[in-house]
Amino acid sequence: MTTNAPRARRLTLRRRRQLAGFAFALPAIALVVGFIGVPIGQAVYYSFTQWDGLTSTWIGWSTWSQAFHNTDLWTALENNAKLLITVPFALGLPLLIAVLLHQRVAGWRIFRSIYFLPTAISWVVLGLVAERFFAYQGTLNSIIHFFGFAHTNTNMLGYESTALTALGITFIFTMIGTNTILFLTGLATLDPTLEEAARIDGAGRWRIFRSITLPHLSRFIQLAFVVTVIALFSALFSLIFVMTGGGPGYSTTTMEFLIYQTGFNQGDFGTAALYGLILFVLTAIVGIVQLRLIGSNE
Amino acid sequence: MTTLATPPDTAPLDDTPAVPDRAPRRKVGRWILFAVMLAIAAVMLYPFWVMIFTSLKSEQQFLSGGGFSWLSWRDLTSVIPIGQEILSSTIVCSASILVILVVGLPAGFAFSKLRFRASTAVFLIMVSAMMVPLQAILMPEFVNVTRLHLTGGYLGAILVYAALGTPFSVFLFTTYFRGVPDELIEAGIVDGLGYFGALWRLVVPIAIPAIATVTVLQFIQIWDDLLVGLLFIQNTNERPITVGLAVLAAGRTTSIPELMAGSLISAVPAMVVYLIFQRYLVKGLTMGIDR
Repeated sequence: MTTNAPRARRLTLRRRRQLAGFAFALPAIALVVGFIGVPIGQAVYYSFTQWDGLTSTWIGWSTWSQAFHNTDLWTALENNAKLLITVPFALGLPLLIAVLLHQRVAGWRIFRSIYFLPTAISWVVLGLVAERFFAYQGTLNSIIHFFGFAHTNTNMLGYESTALTALGITFIFTMIGTNTILFLTGLATLDPTLEEAARIDGAGRWRIFRSITLPHLSRFIQLAFVVTVIALFSALFSLIFVMTGGGPGYSTTTMEFLIYQTGFNQGDFGTAALYGLILFVLTAIVGIVQLRLIGSNE
Repeated sequence: MTTLATPPDTAPLDDTPAVPDRAPRRKVGRWILFAVMLAIAAVMLYPFWVMIFTSLKSEQQFLSGGGFSWLSWRDLTSVIPIGQEILSSTIVCSASILVILVVGLPAGFAFSKLRFRASTAVFLIMVSAMMVPLQAILMPEFVNVTRLHLTGGYLGAILVYAALGTPFSVFLFTTYFRGVPDELIEAGIVDGLGYFGALWRLVVPIAIPAIATVTVLQFIQIWDDLLVGLLFIQNTNERPITVGLAVLAAGRTTSIPELMAGSLISAVPAMVVYLIFQRYLVKGLTMGIDR
């Protein structure tokens, strides 16, 4: 024992550091494995069972085949797909706003603070406000009346044909702050002498934007795209909950809301777990893109 | 330098006084720009405008359109238990953030300075967990937390928030600590601080900006969240304010002016935090791409 003490001590130095590292990382690992990793595994298991939250019986693939024959699932997926139309607007408007802010007009700092302010507000609150906007006695109808169409009244949230559009417009509004922040940060890293040189060379504003600003922003646009799409798949719950409750009918039920409804309103935990897996796969695809973005930077 | 094909024939610089007719046009352009910025500001402030003006009406005035009254504010506490809900939100937020920092800081230190076997792989898995939305694992999560009898108080929600926030904080701290020179840590450990001392005395003080970023982002996220509070806090008298508002709104029986007054109150803390710590928020949102 005493003979190999020096060697043991030398080893312990490196080993002790590794042990310390492992011990330091362990609480975080445990938390994430326990509350995120394990449930993913369970979701896979429970998707093959009939499950009400208390007892589960193995029924194999039949949950899956039933789920894929369920029109609700296809309606929800279709709603998610339709909402993708909002993405160009949720990126384009903030890009325009960021470019305007970047002109540094008088008071631009105050404008910047104002434009970002809704970012701090809960989507529950923004949903409540949006409901007021689209309501029969709401702001939208006041605007329509103001422009002379006194007898035109809309109630977008009240009809299956228009509710999803209203939800999409609200989503675009809620994303403006975050995406503007991303683009403005991108513009701040742009070397102003480049634009100056182009201007001296006689390039017009549009030309400078197309050939210098936009290419420089490409990474930021990619990041904003990923952030927006992930929000679209997993952050609409609050808006839907207060604005429409998924209705009328299933017209504003997206995947994430369908999971909630199937689990907590219908008590069908097995199917809800399966829907969760589908959502997981959808976001994983987008997530891989983001990881590559972050990875390519290091 | 550029791919622009325009020949460099144009004489003096645009903004020199030598070209007199450009200056007024530019000035007009500036004014138009300013007007557009004002218009956008009006749109972005619309939610506040709605909340303020709607809350300053009684229910009758709201339905009929005109009028002004403090009634909704006066009766607010009898409809929405504002005080208790703010307290719940505060407890849940601060406890979750505390857990996130307590597990995130050492983990970031370990992944950047005290590498262990497979630590890179573990780190990557940790970062990918950032991408998992709660809805995807909602059912098993709910059943697990219920089975552990954690939905009675705040603990279940706190742990779920902490678990959802930890991957991002670990990512941010690890990236941040990579910028700290190894020699500094070495010297500290050799000087007898030990690993824990090095973390507490050397790393944490340097990490204050990163800690601020995590705190601000998580505060806003947790304060504004609905889903976790709705499902993982079962007692109605322990509800956070966002959940309280959403449930009242979904019930469709509460008067709109009172709901708007409550919304305004709920929005204040997150807005104040945002306005004070704007800088850190921006840093956190663009983490990993602007460096």
